[in-house]
Amino acid sequence: MSDTPKDTRAKNEHIKEQSRQLRGTIAAGLADVSTGAISEDDTQLVKFHGTYMQDDRDLRPERTKKKLEKAFSFMIRVRVPGGLATAEQWVAMDDIASTYANGTLRLTTRQAFQFHGVIKSNLKTTMQDINATLLDTLAACGDVNRNVMSTANPFLSKAHRAAFDLANDLSDHLTPRTAAYHEIWLDGEKVAGGEAAPNEEPIYGVHYLPRKFKTVVAVPPDNDVDLYAHDLGFVAIVSQGKLTGWNVTVGGGMGMTHGDTETFPRTADVLGFCLPGQAVDVAEKIVTVQRDWGNRENRKRARLKYTIEDYGLDAFRAEVEARLGYKLGQIRDMAFDSTGDPIGWRKGSDRRWHLTLYIENGRIKDQPGVALRSALCEIAETQSVSFILSSNQNLIIAQATAKTKQAIDNILAKHGVPQGDVSGLRRNAMACVALPTCALALAESERYLPELVSRLEDSLDRVGLSDDDIVIRMTGCPNGCARPYLAEIGLVGRGPGTYNLYLGAAFDGSRLNKLFANDVNGDAIVAQLDPMFERYAKERDEGERFGDFVVRAGIVAPTTAGNTFHNDVGHAK
Amino acid sequence: MSNLALVPQTAPFSTDQIAALNTVVGKSNPAQRSWLAGFLAGLDAANGVQPVAAAAPKTKVPLTIIYASESGNSEGLALAAKKAAAKQGFDARVFDMGDSDISLLAKAENVLIYAATWGEGDPPQRAIDFYETLMGDDAPKLDSVNFAVMALGDSAYVDFCETGKRIDARLEELGAKRIADRIDLDLDFAKHAPAWTAKALETLRPTEPDTSDNIVHVDFAHAPDGVADGEPAFTAEAPYEAEIAGLVNLSGSGSTRETWHVELAIEDPRFTYAPGDSIGVVPENNRQIVADVLDAVGLGGDADGAARLATEFDVTTLSRRFAQKYAELTGRDDVARLAGDVDAFQAYAADRQLVDLLAEHPETLSLDQLVSVLRPLPPRLYSVASSPIAHADEAHLLVGAVRWASHGRDRHGVASTFLADHRKAGDTLKIYPKPNKHFKLPTDPATPIIMIGAGTGVAPYRGFVAERAERGDTGKNWLVFGERNYTFDFLYQLEWQDHLESGALAKLDVAFSRDQPEKIYVQHRLWDARDALRGWVNDGAHIYICGDEKGMARDVDAILAKIFAETVGGDLSAGEAKLKALTKAGRYQRDVY
Ligand code: SRM
Ligand SMILES: Cc1cc2nc3c(=O)[nH]c(=O)nc-3n(C[C@H](O)[C@H](O)[C@H](O)COP(=O)(O)OP(=O)(O)OC[C@H]3O[C@@H](n4cnc5c(N)ncnc54)[C@H](O)[C@@H]3O)c2cc1C
Ligand SMILES: Cc1cc2nc3c(=O)[nH]c(=O)nc-3n(C[C@H](O)[C@H](O)[C@H](O)COP(=O)(O)O)c2cc1C
Ligand code: SF4
Repeated sequence: MSDTPKDTRAKNEHIKEQSRQLRGTIAAGLADVSTGAISEDDTQLVKFHGTYMQDDRDLRPERTKKKLEKAFSFMIRVRVPGGLATAEQWVAMDDIASTYANGTLRLTTRQAFQFHGVIKSNLKTTMQDINATLLDTLAACGDVNRNVMSTANPFLSKAHRAAFDLANDLSDHLTPRTAAYHEIWLDGEKVAGGEAAPNEEPIYGVHYLPRKFKTVVAVPPDNDVDLYAHDLGFVAIVSQGKLTGWNVTVGGGMGMTHGDTETFPRTADVLGFCLPGQAVDVAEKIVTVQRDWGNRENRKRARLKYTIEDYGLDAFRAEVEARLGYKLGQIRDMAFDSTGDPIGWRKGSDRRWHLTLYIENGRIKDQPGVALRSALCEIAETQSVSFILSSNQNLIIAQATAKTKQAIDNILAKHGVPQGDVSGLRRNAMACVALPTCALALAESERYLPELVSRLEDSLDRVGLSDDDIVIRMTGCPNGCARPYLAEIGLVGRGPGTYNLYLGAAFDGSRLNKLFANDVNGDAIVAQLDPMFERYAKERDEGERFGDFVVRAGIVAPTTAGNTFHNDVGHAK
Repeated sequence: MSNLALVPQTAPFSTDQIAALNTVVGKSNPAQRSWLAGFLAGLDAANGVQPVAAAAPKTKVPLTIIYASESGNSEGLALAAKKAAAKQGFDARVFDMGDSDISLLAKAENVLIYAATWGEGDPPQRAIDFYETLMGDDAPKLDSVNFAVMALGDSAYVDFCETGKRIDARLEELGAKRIADRIDLDLDFAKHAPAWTAKALETLRPTEPDTSDNIVHVDFAHAPDGVADGEPAFTAEAPYEAEIAGLVNLSGSGSTRETWHVELAIEDPRFTYAPGDSIGVVPENNRQIVADVLDAVGLGGDADGAARLATEFDVTTLSRRFAQKYAELTGRDDVARLAGDVDAFQAYAADRQLVDLLAEHPETLSLDQLVSVLRPLPPRLYSVASSPIAHADEAHLLVGAVRWASHGRDRHGVASTFLADHRKAGDTLKIYPKPNKHFKLPTDPATPIIMIGAGTGVAPYRGFVAERAERGDTGKNWLVFGERNYTFDFLYQLEWQDHLESGALAKLDVAFSRDQPEKIYVQHRLWDARDALRGWVNDGAHIYICGDEKGMARDVDAILAKIFAETVGGDLSAGEAKLKALTKAGRYQRDVY
């Protein structure tokens, strides 16, 4: 009897396998009032349900001395396919924020809502309140397809509408089928004894995917969804105003680990072209190939981008086409001009007004003098508009008539919400959450970037660049939740107060940046960038972007592909 | 428990000597005991003291002494009165109003009553039955009874000495003859009580002195058990100076509470306590409030005044009594008018302190004038939060800092903020043990207990569970704990987790009122767990309730009655009767402040 091969699969694979399709011992954990936490294994499973167990890291030092455990609470992520939410849903989210969360609402870099600070005793009630709004949190996290993004505002054009519809179809099709979610959170009747029904997950099976999977739908020339940072992308191909089909991209991703050159960010490759009706099937087959080929031993090499690095794009395409039973079409031309959001009012093809409101790091809260959260809630309660979460943590208030547009401006002004000019740097600034809630943060991000931007604004002001769009993104660790490796100025946390500085990415999100300086603090960052801005102002070509300039000027080498990201780092030779 | 006449544990003998004594005394009959008493008394006489023939006992004046007490003060005074009476040849007997019924009064000749007031002008909890019958229409005629009442209270309360006043008036109404005017004593009762008792005994004593006054009548049969006859080693007047071994605010940052865990080093073996007791803390006043009071009367900068006001006098409590004294001293009729109108004064004093009255009605006073209208600085009691065997040579307290702001001033509770703001580890604290007979672990280690506590009310239960765990008791322990927010106010959370792990805690329910829109309190959790609760009570469980929430005790009583009533068709009076029976049997105990 040959002994079974040593099981070298990652720990999470065992947890998933024994979890009876994501049930684990979550229900029992919720009932244990002696602790605000749930078991270690269950923390991995609840991610699939859309919630992360966290603790307030600012408070950690004092807790044991006070005979208290960590200040546990749960982050809940509400997926919003294509980012479109109704006014009623907005009011419900606002109410949940003040009733059960820490009083703030967070728009994420992937068109979703996040609540922070929900304690365990309120977790189930909060989940039920969220689901009552017909939004849900299933698969907002975990080793499954996540919230599907689409280029903001389905009301802008027919192509935008088609992109939004595809995003919803993909989201529905790739949502886990397990009844666990309803059993645990929505008091759905237990499948006999809490076991899993046979073949409950037709696409994901018992083991789900080796790692998270992220899908976007883009409408050129807008690359707000950052197509090249995602596992799977569909790009609308339009001719004479009609959607002819989608270019399909695979293998993008951001996460990496400091000092581990086996891990690196990667820009997606274009796989081929498909007709509108084929898109959902193409997506399913790509997911199943990643399910079967993805690396289940090492979660750091489990994302689709590594599967393609390991097997090669052609082999991957061949397997997808084999499972489709037909070939993908010839790749169509596509071009993007920006990854940002157009801040301010503009008119859509629907003859209505749409306001893109700049929200600093997506954090919706009331502060003395600027009652942003109250203003938005009042708009949602009094105006017939819809709300679209942008891919850059901003908010679009859509479908306003001329009268509503005026009312909205008045409400914002009444609550002290500025609509004035935001500098070219600040309106393209994005920071991940990091401290105090993110367990993986090495440095501040959301709570520090605005301060750094102000210092850099002074430098840009001195050289007359305060109105030029420059993309700056900061994260608290190399996981890259604010897509820092596609930023003209990328800042990735190394330790308390120190960051790696990356330069040279393409403004349209198609080229990664390159590590320029290691482990630098705020002063050093300003000292490095100040002279560069001065040279850029003087020596740039007409319309040349900062990211392109630093490459052309030989300040930093270009990154042509993910697997050369770690080559030629620092000041170009 | 048989009513064996036993030598109490607190007798001045080692434990095994006590055991040996009890083998003899325990099985003795009254005749043997009175022989033994005479023998022992005569023993000293044998070595050089002229033996006195045991005089034939004179017909003694019968004296019934009744106390209504919750924290033991009136009880102590009643016992002292009995001792004094016995010396003067009275046949004096002491009774706890909580254990007696009205017939005791009817058959009595001479009655001395020592009654304290609790709650909001109410009688002590255990004495309510007796008190209500006395006040009710079927109270007996008392024409042949002579009486005198000492009322104990705290002038900080609006209904100062209310219970004693009502009993005094009612006895007269029922025809009894008052032989000494009622005296209303504040927290400094110890100074004034002996004189009053002596005067009362004087009026009751037979005409010629009794010669047999040197025979000590040791009344084994009726000395209430557990009460130390000997003087306690440490008192408010002679406190123990303990070093503070630890002082930490358990409330997490972000809490609306400030709850201090205090660890005190106890190096003197005479300082003893048991879980369920309290510890008295002798505080000092906040220097700022002392300075403000001195300024208000034109004594700013008076160093001697500052020193004396800091440690000797209550400079914060604004009582009607203080206002009356101040009005008399200064001749201010505006203050006199205010002090004269109970309701107006209560409204005025609701959120003001002594300094406000002085500042708003200023007079310049000499230091002597000022101290003449101040009452002594009272100690404050804190339920002991440790077990003497689990936390050897230490006593722990759990103190909620009292702070509020009103009329433009920040207010600080004297004792709680003396600890929170002006003490640190290494400093000392003046303390004394305050036994609490009516809040004790069951004697049988196998008896289950249900501990209901809100806020700092969890303190004694930490001692209970630690003690039982240390002794390896088999009795199951169930804690029902309430506070405001889970993340910041779960007092001693890590310790309860360890106890659950070890089994020392069998069951835990928690109620955090402010974590969700609807308020959730301990009584809601009790109702949720009513089946389990009935089961535990049927298994003989004792129930405890502790804490400072004014309404909590009432709400918990109501829910417990409802829980017991549910299984008898919802007949609430049956439920209440069951609760009363548990109280009488000592299986429902309270430490509510
Ligand atoms: C909220 C958000 C950042 C923000 O400020 O908006 C976010 C926040 C977190 N991300 Fe992320 N990620 C967010 C977008 C991203 C992106 C951007 C994107 O997808 O376009 C990336 C890079 C793309 C990619 O996946 O490679 C990203 C890559 C990660 C990774 C690294 C994954 C990897 O393959 O290496 C982790 C860590 C992990 O999964 O083990 C992570 C983990 C996390 C966690 C849940 C930390 C954790 O695992 O305990 C963070 C919660 C912090 C908090 O307290 O809220 N997050 N995360 C974004 C929510 C997205 C959403 O709504 O679904
Ligand atoms: C048997 C017993 C056990 C006790 N156990 C504990 C214990 O374990 N832990 C504990 O913390 N306490 C306990 N107490 C209560 C404690 O004795 C003190 O009463 C309490 O600490 C306040 O004392 P202080 O000197 O700090 O405040 P004080 O100076 O006495 O001030 C308290 C007074 O301030 C006034 N006041 C307070 N808040 C307000 C407000 N918001 N508005 C207006 N007026 C206000 C009230 O008149 C209150 O009586 C116990 C009491 C007893 C009798
Ligand atoms: C919670 C509590 C409530 C009290 N209520 C009153 C009251 O309403 N009126 C009063 O005069 N004294 C009141 N007192 C003071 C007590 O009567 C005083 O402490 C007395 O010495 C207690 O005597 P005992 O130990 O015999 O119970 C109260 C004391 C406490 C702790
Ligand atoms: S990038 Fe790192 S620190 Fe920032 S949210 Fe993501 S995991 Fe947390």
